[in-house]
Amino acid sequence: MSIKQSLSYRNLIQEKTRFILSVGGITLAVMLILLLNGLMKGLYEQFGAYLRNTPGTVVVSQAGINNFIGSTSTLSSDTVETIQEIDGVSQVIPVLSQFIILDLHDKKQPAYLIGYDSSIGGGPWRISAGREAQSGNEVVFDRTLANRHQIQVNDTLNIMGEQFKVVGLSDGTASWMTSYVFMPKASMETLFGLKGDTSFVLVTADTGVTQQKLMERLNTTLAGVHASAEDEVIANDLNLFARFFSAPLQLMVGIAFLIGTLIVGLIIYTATTERQKEYGVLKAVGSKNNLLYRTVAIQSLIVASLGSLAGVGLTFEVARLITTIRPQFLILIEPTSIFGAVVAGMAMASLGAFFSIWAVTRLSPAEVFRK
Amino acid sequence: MTDFSLRVEGISKRYGSGDTEVTAVSNISLTVSQGEIVLIMGPSGSGKTTLLLLLGALLKPTQGRISLDGLDLSSLAEKALPDIRLHQLGFVFQDFKLLSALSVLDNVAIVAELAGVNSKVARRKAASLLTELGLAERLNFLPEKLSGGEKQRVAIARALINEPRIILADEPTANLDSKIGLQIMRLLRRIAKEQGRSLIIVSHDQRIKDIADRVLWLEDGRFKDMVTMVTDPVCGMALEHEKATSAVWEGQAYYFCSEGCKHEFLANPVHFQTHQAALSLPSATHQEYPLG
Ligand SMILES: Nc1ncnc2c1ncn2[C@@H]1O[C@H](COP(=O)(O)OP(=O)(O)OP(=O)(O)O)[C@@H](O)[C@H]1O
Ligand SMILES: [Mg+2]
Repeated sequence: MSIKQSLSYRNLIQEKTRFILSVGGITLAVMLILLLNGLMKGLYEQFGAYLRNTPGTVVVSQAGINNFIGSTSTLSSDTVETIQEIDGVSQVIPVLSQFIILDLHDKKQPAYLIGYDSSIGGGPWRISAGREAQSGNEVVFDRTLANRHQIQVNDTLNIMGEQFKVVGLSDGTASWMTSYVFMPKASMETLFGLKGDTSFVLVTADTGVTQQKLMERLNTTLAGVHASAEDEVIANDLNLFARFFSAPLQLMVGIAFLIGTLIVGLIIYTATTERQKEYGVLKAVGSKNNLLYRTVAIQSLIVASLGSLAGVGLTFEVARLITTIRPQFLILIEPTSIFGAVVAGMAMASLGAFFSIWAVTRLSPAEVFRK
Repeated sequence: MTDFSLRVEGISKRYGSGDTEVTAVSNISLTVSQGEIVLIMGPSGSGKTTLLLLLGALLKPTQGRISLDGLDLSSLAEKALPDIRLHQLGFVFQDFKLLSALSVLDNVAIVAELAGVNSKVARRKAASLLTELGLAERLNFLPEKLSGGEKQRVAIARALINEPRIILADEPTANLDSKIGLQIMRLLRRIAKEQGRSLIIVSHDQRIKDIADRVLWLEDGRFKDMVTMVTDPVCGMALEHEKATSAVWEGQAYYFCSEGCKHEFLANPVHFQTHQAALSLPSATHQEYPLG
């Protein structure tokens, strides 16, 4: 490597503190962006978890209801029976669902209660302790929710005035908004006084029948109900709830980017202005601007690459730490998010370099003769 | 005079405009021959640095022509000037201006690289030049590890590496003690004479006038007739004889820049006696001196 080319990294390593600070600035900003993004993705994932993990590709609800979470839908037992008889239907899972507030050791805890029939399906998809809720006053609790409130299998708790026995703990049913609690559908009907009612029916098509065709048949055969694709319902839930979170999260991602840019821009800019005299000397002795631009740009590139790399690595560590301490959070770090964060890191450094190059351009070589 | 290297014809430089307009250099003409050493002196603000910037193709004159071996610099595009500086001119600064992240060797070699020499050859050339200047043991040092005199020798090597026709130096001894300063000036003189490079120095330093072939006095942007210069024994400042206040001690006249210096001197004259009391610059009535 020629001396000209090595100037950028020699300038960098000469100022170790500044170098570490600027790399650290990018690292933190990239990590923050990636973490917030991962939280958002995790939240989205948690929102769709129930529908995605239970059988069925079509969700039948009361007419006018397009959401699963947070919507109250009522279907009669006749409807459920009619669905079963429709041509092309292979499996029908009726579930009751209700958003409730639990009183756990005097702490209010929102939860999403699912009433299901363990012989049909629609309950927890991974049991980590105990068994499913089969009959009577039995519940399966989300494991992270149970851990947070020191609830164990065989404990008894009060749900809306009735005593329930915890018979199992489920995995993958947590959310930092509302975790899932499962009980037998019959018990839930009694608890809410909804004899024979169903909230949603999860329908699986026979092989050879497309989801589209099944939905059409359901919608034409049944009156007063609405059949929609599972993905569509998940998307509607996200639209309804995630927008409360995604706007502030996106704002925070934006702020992280801005702060990262400012930090890195400032550090690279002051690094340049502090070397202004030296760049001026190079200009005075006859160096072209190109060399100086390149020197500044390569410095930024080195800082950005190292910072982004460290940022991505650190994110995985921090994410692991967060989910260990707070298991209700799901942080999903996807390759596209990593790519986006690295691009953001590079963009920060480019903006920093841009201002520095601007400073170098303005530099008059005659200035070096002034003290 | 046919083999001149630098010719200046009626150049002026004005900074700013309107009420704040300053004429830093006013209608100056000058011819510097190959191998000639010209010292430009003058009070602060007289336009010395401005003149040097004009000669160094770092500043465009408002008026007039500067030509280097017949090439009219003022006719060249701004873009062409860096190449002229790189190949034809060498610069030496008061505060050395070495690149702090580069070793002594690389500080010199990078300038050869800028001129298109590959780094291996550039380093070899720089090493031999630095060795000639007595810095063989310092090649891999960072500038911060060097003494002032060593730094200035590195700067001189840097100015010489592309074998320029002209070396321009602004106050090259101002940051050095007098002994080292004189050594540096002798070194510059030897280089100019042995290698046939013209040397233009701007300085307040009276002591270096001995090494110059010509001394020019700049005042208000114009060359003035030489005046008798005296040195304040207290602060060492060069003063015009007529403008100084004086005192006589043991039959000898001493000149001062201010009443303060005078009082300081009179309080303890023996302490300052070692300084030369007064000296005269060659008086002249023309703007230009014949060589020799
Ligand atoms: N960039 C500038 N803009 C405006 N005026 C300037 C500029 N540079 C110099 N001047 C003015 O031009 C005049 C000559 O300045 P110059 O620096 O050439 O003097 P000098 O002889 O080198 O002084 P010193 O001995 O203090 O270095 C001064 O009056 C100064 O204020
Ligand atoms: Mg000056």
